Amino acid sequence: MKAKKQVIIFGDMRVGKDSPNRSKRTPTVRKIKSAIVPIDRSAVRLGHQPGARPRVETGSAAVADLGASVSFEPTLAERESLDRIDLSVDLAPEHGGLRLANPILVASGTFGYGVEYGEVVDVQRLGAICCKGTTLRPRAGNPPPRVTETPGGMLNSIGLQNPGVDAVIEKYGSVWASWAVPVIVNVAGESIEDYVEVARRLDGVPGVAGIELNISCPNVGKGGLQFAIDRDAARAVTAAVRRATQLPLLVKLSPNVADVRPIARAIEEAGADAISAINTLSGLAVAPDRTRAFLGNTYGGLSGPAIKPVALRIVYEVAQVVSIPIVAIGGVTSIDDVLDFLACGAVAVQVGTAIFADPELPVRLADELRAVCLRRGLETYRPLVGTALPKRTGAPSAKGAEYRP
Amino acid sequence: MTMRLVAAELVESRQILPGQWLQSFHAPELASGSRAGQFVHVRTGDYSGLVLRRPFSINTADPATGIVTLHFRTVGRGTEWMARVREGETLDMLGPLGRPFEVDPRSHHLLLVAGGLGMAGIRMLADEAVRDGRQVTILFGALSASHVYPSSLLPDEVEYVVATDDGSLGHHSLVTELLPDYEAWADQAFACGPYPMLARLAQLAAGRRARLGVAKLGRKRGAGRADPLGSSASRRKAFLQVSMEQTMGCAVGACLGCSIIGVEGPVRVCREGPVFAAEEIAWPASA
Repeated sequence: MKAKKQVIIFGDMRVGKDSPNRSKRTPTVRKIKSAIVPIDRSAVRLGHQPGARPRVETGSAAVADLGASVSFEPTLAERESLDRIDLSVDLAPEHGGLRLANPILVASGTFGYGVEYGEVVDVQRLGAICCKGTTLRPRAGNPPPRVTETPGGMLNSIGLQNPGVDAVIEKYGSVWASWAVPVIVNVAGESIEDYVEVARRLDGVPGVAGIELNISCPNVGKGGLQFAIDRDAARAVTAAVRRATQLPLLVKLSPNVADVRPIARAIEEAGADAISAINTLSGLAVAPDRTRAFLGNTYGGLSGPAIKPVALRIVYEVAQVVSIPIVAIGGVTSIDDVLDFLACGAVAVQVGTAIFADPELPVRLADELRAVCLRRGLETYRPLVGTALPKRTGAPSAKGAEYRP
Repeated sequence: MTMRLVAAELVESRQILPGQWLQSFHAPELASGSRAGQFVHVRTGDYSGLVLRRPFSINTADPATGIVTLHFRTVGRGTEWMARVREGETLDMLGPLGRPFEVDPRSHHLLLVAGGLGMAGIRMLADEAVRDGRQVTILFGALSASHVYPSSLLPDEVEYVVATDDGSLGHHSLVTELLPDYEAWADQAFACGPYPMLARLAQLAAGRRARLGVAKLGRKRGAGRADPLGSSASRRKAFLQVSMEQTMGCAVGACLGCSIIGVEGPVRVCREGPVFAAEEIAWPASA
């Protein structure tokens, strides 16, 4: 299983003994070394005179080498080398391809339909846009208030407010078709038939590059149980949508389950091209007068830096049991977060809540990832993927399961 | 002006009332490109773990000096952080955002109604109206005399009427109860304040046209063709416009977090608002 995975996703990114990347497995040593010799390898490689231009100050060299976000002002020569670094990734090689220019996406629900941020964000420089959750029929959403800040994160209970798939296609389809950046339509529904019908209507629409299934919705026909928490329901909805469309298909995992691995496997077996992980964690906030819950819908989904460890854990677990690409979501606010998710086996990352504070972040992260590659002498970012996964093959460990809530 | 990210340098910060701050920022783009009723979304410090920006009405904007002011009360971690920002430091502001108040060019008497911090929502409109030669009366409601906005911070030309809940200054009543006295004088009213205040004003203002026997002003253009609800044209004709408040995520219309319930379904405070004509909002029946 594991070997198969490496062949498929990491065919050209296997970390060998001679790989220049190998040294990062011993970061402590690396840190000390670079602190002593503040010249980075990429500069040497490019034929720069050591010390000719102090790109990174001595004090922060170690940090820079470990991939932390430091200001990076490339010279002209470096800019050319940066342009040569290949950040592209294909999330659906088996279904016509979903090729992204870089692995930094914007997460559904945080970027509307791609037009709202206007000139503040250059959407063409994003890897892809996951648009607002779209349903078959228009939905008015939940009663206000719908958002509130929490320590290191926020709760939201928008309730899938959207004008319905037909209106979305009519209103935004032509705009999307004029963009080079792929738009992945996030699809939600109350029944398998809903999902299938939305997928059918999106199939063949110019400007729609793929579908991301939000399966954290109650299955009305099955007593309101979420698709995402039931392996068989997750399998059934994925398979049904797979049959309905040839569009690249991502399925978004919910973290609100005891063990996500069987669900991830079922989704892979049902024909999904990629898995996005994770959706928000179910949470609650209390109103200031403490007589009721704060949010109009009582419950909300927790997102932001607070959930990053949970997202990392789930990506780490899922990466060991599926062979399709994983798109990580959960609390990304810096290049370090991106590198963490890549190390845990994700091939791409979605930025969500952080956009609200820093709309330019996703575009900047792509640039910073390029800079990290340059600094490490890499031509692609793929050697950064999966480096933190357990090295030995065999059945994944169940260790840690007993600590789960 | 379209919204953009602006680096705004704090040039002055002072506490004008207990817990209420007036901060002046040097931000020429905002100062010259904003209209009364619009707001900015201010990024708070990263290190404090606050993940959302904070929306503030643009209190005043002076294109000549490039200065915009924000008036806020410290109510939580974000505003407490803001109050500690030092002069010379730069804040990241996204703006100007939202749609402004729409003043009918034929309105000469403007009634501005503010409750507490709501003054920040209508303050700039007073400047604009005075500049345009209109007569302005501000009705201001507060808990007590110690919470009353200093008249020295208002333009000389406005009439300032105060009501306090405890009667320690001005009228001993809720500010909303002063509205009927001005209903006939005012051509248009603009309000900002707590939700119950706005709901009560909407209730009092409803049916004003019939009560006063006001004919529809102006020429009859395209008889029977009404401006769509929420359009600038229809707001311009409305007697009462309200500036609404809601917890906010993105402030650009992407996240739908700040939606409130309008008569035609959910509307985004950040995009369709924050200013609405009172008849666009689905007020609770028992307001």
